[in-house]
Amino acid sequence: MAATGTATDIAVVGWAQTPAVRRSPSTEVQLLVPTITDAIAMAGLDRREIGFTCSGSCDYLTGGPFAFVQNLEASGAWPPIAESHVEMDGAWALYEAWVRLQHGDIDTALVFSSGKSSASEPMELWPHQLDPYYLAPLGVDPASLAGLQARALLDAGKATERDFAEVVARSRRNGRANPNAQLTGEADVDALLAEPYLREPLRRHDLPPIGDGAAALVLARGARARELCARPAWIRGIDHRIEPHQPGMRDLTTSTSAALAARKAGYDGGPLDLAELHAPFSPQEIVLRQSLGLPEGTEVNPSGGALAANVVMVAGLARVIEAAARIVDGGADRALAHATNGQLLQHNLVCVLEGE
Amino acid sequence: MSDATTGATTTGTAKQHLVMEHLVSLTYRDALPPSLDRFVDRLLEGHIVGHRCPSCSRVYVPPRGYCPMCVVPTAADHEVEVSDRGILTGFTVITPIAYYGQQETEPFVHASVRLDGADTTLVGVEITGVPHDELRMGLRVKAVWKPESERSTEGISSRGWGGVSSVIDSFEPTGEPDAPPDEYRDHVF
Repeated sequence: MAATGTATDIAVVGWAQTPAVRRSPSTEVQLLVPTITDAIAMAGLDRREIGFTCSGSCDYLTGGPFAFVQNLEASGAWPPIAESHVEMDGAWALYEAWVRLQHGDIDTALVFSSGKSSASEPMELWPHQLDPYYLAPLGVDPASLAGLQARALLDAGKATERDFAEVVARSRRNGRANPNAQLTGEADVDALLAEPYLREPLRRHDLPPIGDGAAALVLARGARARELCARPAWIRGIDHRIEPHQPGMRDLTTSTSAALAARKAGYDGGPLDLAELHAPFSPQEIVLRQSLGLPEGTEVNPSGGALAANVVMVAGLARVIEAAARIVDGGADRALAHATNGQLLQHNLVCVLEGE
Repeated sequence: MSDATTGATTTGTAKQHLVMEHLVSLTYRDALPPSLDRFVDRLLEGHIVGHRCPSCSRVYVPPRGYCPMCVVPTAADHEVEVSDRGILTGFTVITPIAYYGQQETEPFVHASVRLDGADTTLVGVEITGVPHDELRMGLRVKAVWKPESERSTEGISSRGWGGVSSVIDSFEPTGEPDAPPDEYRDHVF
């Protein structure tokens, strides 16, 4: 279809998510069984028709080595299937599936991801993803790192604490319409600002909720996508870029990698009906809005975003699902979905979706 | 941190390396899902239960809460009890080496047992009451239960490892004739 090097005729045609909950009694694979089944059913496919499967998860969350292998059982891996896994957010599993579809020999792919943070202590676990010489021994937790980023943003005059609180209030308000959101409700900005600091200048509400959950998504290309979905959400571009692992080596008040990924995904600052940004800490939404150059008036995180539900390994894929859902239901024509991995927006993925 | 001297330069000057110890410990709370929680409760009472898939009728022990072949959820109403007797479907005899944490000193058995009524195997069980050189696939075995007062949930996990050894000490031969290969051929693991 497209004459350029990358195909632009791959679309989201089905999806499903579990609600995000603080503590699910189910294992990751038990969460995935109905989720994957529902996503494939929405696309009107039989699972044996799926050409490629890619999953994203992190074994460290539950402390179960090779948990991702058991998760595969939820996709129906007998008779044998072609599959792959990324130890990353499901948005990167989506990226791999999209690359796989470029070969042109298959026309459908299944993407799924799951996360269960309730089995571990996130503030204890995540410092170990930092470099083992300088940062990990300090035990710097994600909220402390995010506090440094927030402080840098305030010092640079790029945001105020009130801006952070406004992001929180809007996210929770928007989350009320999202049945899968975990932390929702009306929040008064002045009341939020009266709360004590948790990691100055961040307050507890500037942090994402800790949650368990799963999500799945089905991709199809060309005529097959049109056959499976009345109005597919076409992926017009998708790209991901990464910055140095050491947060001290970059300007934390901007996101060079998110801006570059957006450009490479074909986003040129043009009009968008909505943007779903994966910003686990409230100041990060401001960094992303500014770095991506979103036009004034763009609706940001109508789902409530990561401040309403942040299932680790799922929240990025959920941004793509939320954006695609708005296109498929006719509520939007053009949307941008963003996902992040690593600490302080180290690694960013941008996906531009359109209806036709 | 400490200084360690390793190696030397060509001039004979000792090279100093800074050695930093960084011990990592992570806390996990492995809450058993309802399917496994029920299995453990019944096991402590001396009964072994599984789930029968409503689609293909395979019986999974312990219950997984779903059938991986049909990809359908299973729940309490699919519960079935299976026997504590079965077939040795595969085994290896392990000669322990003294690595850190190894508690075994004598050769021991790591076996898979397909219980009568189950389509899956219990993995990693010990076989006693038979010389190691007489172990064979198809051997009929039965559970040697710990006394009720000594049973515990230690080692039972939702994370794909751990077994029933905190409740069932081992399996030993029943003395029945060996089972034919058709009954274990597809169940060696």
